[in-house]
Amino acid sequence: MDLAYYPGCSLYQSAMLYNHQTRLIFARLGLHLHEIDDWSCCGATSAGKINDFMAIALPARNLGIAENSGFSELVIPCAACYSRTVVAQKQLQDFPLLKNEINQELSQKVKDNIRVSSTLDVLQREMGGGRLAAIDLEKLEGFRPACYYGCMHTRFPYDVPVADNVENPRAMEEVLKAIGIKAVDWNYKTLCCGASSVIYNTECALDLMAKIMRDALARDANCLVVTCPMCQMNMESQQEKFCTKHNIKERLPVYFITELIGMAFGFSKKDLQPEDDMFTTGMDWTQLCGDSV
Amino acid sequence: MGSKPFEYTPQAADVFTREVMARSGQNIVACYQCKRCASGCPVAEETDMVTPNRLVRMVVLGDIESALTNKLTWKCLFCHTCGTRCPNNIKTGRIADTLKKMALDAGIDPQQPEYKNFHRAFFNYSLRWGRINEIGMMGEFQLRNMWDHLRRGNFVAIISEVASKSTLAWEMFKQKRLHLSFHSSKGRDEISRLYKKSAGRKWI
Ligand code: SF4
Ligand code: SF4
Repeated sequence: MDLAYYPGCSLYQSAMLYNHQTRLIFARLGLHLHEIDDWSCCGATSAGKINDFMAIALPARNLGIAENSGFSELVIPCAACYSRTVVAQKQLQDFPLLKNEINQELSQKVKDNIRVSSTLDVLQREMGGGRLAAIDLEKLEGFRPACYYGCMHTRFPYDVPVADNVENPRAMEEVLKAIGIKAVDWNYKTLCCGASSVIYNTECALDLMAKIMRDALARDANCLVVTCPMCQMNMESQQEKFCTKHNIKERLPVYFITELIGMAFGFSKKDLQPEDDMFTTGMDWTQLCGDSV
Repeated sequence: MGSKPFEYTPQAADVFTREVMARSGQNIVACYQCKRCASGCPVAEETDMVTPNRLVRMVVLGDIESALTNKLTWKCLFCHTCGTRCPNNIKTGRIADTLKKMALDAGIDPQQPEYKNFHRAFFNYSLRWGRINEIGMMGEFQLRNMWDHLRRGNFVAIISEVASKSTLAWEMFKQKRLHLSFHSSKGRDEISRLYKKSAGRKWI
């Protein structure tokens, strides 16, 4: 099965691991990801804070590219990119004049014939039946994950169809069940972690993260599992801080769901977390001197 | 501050409510103050009693000053818990976002000074290069903060700024999350034409 793939900026940088693991496990499942050509930033939440038109126009460009490359489905791993893109797609449908205005400037026009899915949507759909039967699953012992969805899996700033239960999503639990892991039942799977506000409203975000952590611990979870790079980064890189602030002794690893699936598929730690290329720079200095807006 | 009564100004209410509704896309006059939004809001404990329902009320009554300067407007996380729970499908997160924009348009300083700088840096960076490089984007964010401190002559802030952000960078570095590769998109011309087209538009 061939799918268009939009990695998004963070999967090229801080969440490189997520990109790598998504590609590995999709390939093992027989799902071929084709990164769309010359994709650009979706604007994330920031574009909408400043310019409502660009918040739609930026994802529109990527939609146009994906549609014109002939695929019927576009897969987006990052929860923020996914949210921005489905919302923009629906707004383009609802406001045809706006769509025309945006299309005038696009070399690859939005036609509106592509299905946009998150990695989790695809995994949930495809991990049953034949695809899994063809894989020797390793039995993973000792994992008691709390599946943490954050805001962006079920709540959107615009009315778009939501596949999962808004208050109590189950998609990650189902995917984990398919590989023999039973997730814990807990309360804060959709509480906001503060997202980028950790930068400008730090204390508030730390308090929220501590609440999430406390409940996961109270339910005896021994790791958190996520699909959103922002949640992953916050819950991991701020953990020392929010635990110290709130007197929490325990610490929990925060896995992308792709990591547990990868382990179950028999990939080694080295396959899943290759030594980092932290200082290899693919920088092309001529680009730094090019025209800017 | 607590829960002081809102000012009702009929003329202001009319114009203001219409603008908020147009920019946020929310039919706020449908609110019947059931407070389902209030019980789920994760920041409601820290907003001096301004819960999402009260924010809606402020707007409808035309208490412009309260609407633009209360804590919920600025602390709202855009998490949309209120919106999914509202029986009238009012997404107060989008109202708060709209009010922030209107406050900035009116020259009111954001309650978290770095809010504006962060989103500006992110947005400008994505326009300029077509993709975000985290180090570059954070650098631009930093420069904007420094510039603000400089203008205010706040040198202590500059030092603590450098200290706190380098701690963050060091954490990311230790976790191998800091990457020095550079990427960009050739679609920058298209993006810049779209951006020109957006000039002066206050809503979609
Ligand atoms: S949930 Fe909706 S109708 Fe109820 S108070 Fe909040 S905004 Fe108003
Ligand atoms: S979107 Fe804002 S107002 Fe609504 S629940 Fe979240 S933080 Fe509260």
